[in-house]
Amino acid sequence: MVQNLLRLLSRYLALVVSVVLVNFFLPRMLPGDPLDFSAGDGTEAAVPLTASARANLENYYHLDDPTLTQLRTYLSELLRGDLGFSISRSAPVRDLILDRLPWTLSLLLVSLVLSAIIGTTFGVVAGWRPGRRSDRFLTSASGMLAAIPEFLIAIGLLLGGAVGLAWFPLFGGESVFVESGAGLSGVMHRGLDIAWHLTLPAATLVIAGVSAFVLVTRDAIASLQHEPWLVAARAKGLDERRVATRHALRKIAPLLITFFGLRLGSVLGGALVVERVFSIPGLGLLGFQAIGARDYPVLQALFLVSGLGVLGVAFLVELSYLRFDPTRRTRQ
Amino acid sequence: MHHVTRRQVIAGLAGGAIALQFARADARKAQQPIALLRYAGPDSGVPNPFQVSPAGPGGPILVSLLYDTLTWKDESGIIPWLASEWSISDDGLTYTFQIEPGAAWHDGAPLTVEDVAFSFTYYSRHPYVWAPSDVVQSAVVEGESVRIMLKQPYAAFIEDISGIVPIIPRHVWESVDDPIAYTGTGRVMGSGPYVLAEYNATEGAYRLIANESYWRGTPRITEFRQLTVPPEALIQSTLQGEIDLASSPDASVADILADDERLAIHESVPLSIVRLAVNTTRPPLDRPAVRQAIAYALDRQFIAESITRGPAIVGSAGVVPPETPWFNPDLRQYAYDPDRARELLAGERLTINLVADARARDPDLMIPMLEEVGITLNVQRVDSPTRIQLLRDGDFQLGFVTHIGVGGDPDYLRRWYTGEESNAFAQGSIFSNEEYTRLGEAQAASLDATERSDLIFRMQEILAEELPTIVLYHRRFYWIHDPTLFTPMETWGGLMNGIPFPHNKLALIAT
Repeated sequence: MVQNLLRLLSRYLALVVSVVLVNFFLPRMLPGDPLDFSAGDGTEAAVPLTASARANLENYYHLDDPTLTQLRTYLSELLRGDLGFSISRSAPVRDLILDRLPWTLSLLLVSLVLSAIIGTTFGVVAGWRPGRRSDRFLTSASGMLAAIPEFLIAIGLLLGGAVGLAWFPLFGGESVFVESGAGLSGVMHRGLDIAWHLTLPAATLVIAGVSAFVLVTRDAIASLQHEPWLVAARAKGLDERRVATRHALRKIAPLLITFFGLRLGSVLGGALVVERVFSIPGLGLLGFQAIGARDYPVLQALFLVSGLGVLGVAFLVELSYLRFDPTRRTRQ
Repeated sequence: MHHVTRRQVIAGLAGGAIALQFARADARKAQQPIALLRYAGPDSGVPNPFQVSPAGPGGPILVSLLYDTLTWKDESGIIPWLASEWSISDDGLTYTFQIEPGAAWHDGAPLTVEDVAFSFTYYSRHPYVWAPSDVVQSAVVEGESVRIMLKQPYAAFIEDISGIVPIIPRHVWESVDDPIAYTGTGRVMGSGPYVLAEYNATEGAYRLIANESYWRGTPRITEFRQLTVPPEALIQSTLQGEIDLASSPDASVADILADDERLAIHESVPLSIVRLAVNTTRPPLDRPAVRQAIAYALDRQFIAESITRGPAIVGSAGVVPPETPWFNPDLRQYAYDPDRARELLAGERLTINLVADARARDPDLMIPMLEEVGITLNVQRVDSPTRIQLLRDGDFQLGFVTHIGVGGDPDYLRRWYTGEESNAFAQGSIFSNEEYTRLGEAQAASLDATERSDLIFRMQEILAEELPTIVLYHRRFYWIHDPTLFTPMETWGGLMNGIPFPHNKLALIAT
């Protein structure tokens, strides 16, 4: 068991090293330069930036160092837990990430959990009696939803909920410069305000993500219908709902957990789009801005955080197999 | 030694030959105090001279509300600001400034000549990226005044250096070795009409409150908020009453707001330019006839009207926009004439590549126009940083560029083509012309306004003849505002180096 765990850990360690190296080189392979300061909106680059000022900045940010020297500096800073200093925002990257991480995480987790719960429920309903009208309807509706890209759903919700009905805000993660007050009521007030701002973005991700869970669960549940243990349970007269939740769902749990882990990466991708559309100040918006600014330290850190996040979840999924998959446990 | 008063500066800089038709010196209406003005502006980072974002012009304008400069501009020209008066030595190398005695920092400490001398000395080690030249040799205190020595005479000094470089408090920065990373006390402390009360870095929002003891007059607007609003939500949030001041380059906002009784539109002077940078070292664009053929082949009026959805201001071949002080109205222009274009090409068929931003729509309109005269235009669509790199490396034939900054001191005509600037729109300015270079150097050193004006006009003539850049059109910004809260102000030549923003700090304070 310990040996297997060590093997798993060493495999993931090698992956982490690869992620770190790729993250360093990837931003530098993009055409463009962090000191070009383009706003890209027609009001861009009024900054005169003399040649000497540019040289000064290149020196300050070590952009004039050879690439290998930059890599050495990056690795040694990383080992000290220093993610570097943002070129476009003149702030430590660690602060920027910590500031924005809660926004992305809350959006990501809320939408992933909701889409998993809703999708799995509908998937069980559809797959429990394959071929029925409810199955046909849910499968078709999920197929249609899966074909709509996140940005289109986001724009639709924005137009309906924020422009048309004006029930939700047009942009932002929270109301700025509003006194929430002190104590618990202040926290509650701020929490409700954030929830109000995140409703449409989270709904976008839920709508975009739910169909995948419906389809996966439906197929998995449908494939169990002729399993001897299920036939036996039904023959014994057990309650259908109890069979579905206690036995069938447990049977497909490893599959759902794996899928949940795999979805993390794609939902993260969706969150980037949604954060851009709704101007939610999360890692996605930060990344979008950092790409436009070719802000190498921020890009490195963002790729690292998201890469490690996905690897971490994959690692946990592999660990969870030990608990949920009896065949693995036996093999171990 | 010349002693310069405000009147002389205005008269000298404008000169008899300069068209001053843009100047809108209507007196600003006296208005009641306003509690709050909400402006849709960019997130420009921490608004001090060392940490403010250099992307886009929002940052330095925000800094200008918090810090002061030696000189400033109103609707008619350059005016004294922290410097109550100044004199220039006969050789143009020494500027001596007298400082306003009542000026003070936000912490109450007096702003002194030592602060001014320190600022210029500090900037020599830590440059302010919005200063277009590093011409300052040294700055020393001399009795009650400050003497600034230049490396060479620089005609744009008063407008582009003393009018742009923020004066910083010595007692904050003298012990700071790394101003880009500084987070200590006084990080954002100037002498300007507003004090930074809060910067929400996550949402990119600023709350500025009036500096009640501002030496130049009490701010009329008690609280000024700058809020980051995504472009897609800008008009809607303005209509919903969440924003009181916002801009758009699209004239159709006037139609959208036609039924809104609260909001009005202010059209800025056209300090934004849409142009083609031409790589004159690459065949076939090394031939002036081909460049001229392209200019004749493009129906720039149609392009401008289609894109801006408003009246077109067809590009002046001399780059300097109409309605601005240094515009030469007597240049060779290139009215739409496809027959003349075909004549210049003499039946030759050409294929030319254009590098453009992915979102630019203008190239789509240019393709059929050029095809009609025998030029196949291949458009390479890239993102903004990639386009800038291609232009910087000279790896292009034509580059599609849009930007502001063409209304201030016209020395930019020289800097773009000498490699002295390193910004995005200087890049791609590949043009070698001996006379142009000589004229550029002469005007930069000339303190005679009339002589300088002649030199600038001649430089525009060369640009119009040689076309190292083909100006498609000049753009206005349409400022949506609530006139009961704010009266937009049109600054002479644009704020600083030609920024067409209406919230000159003079418009925010009661004078």
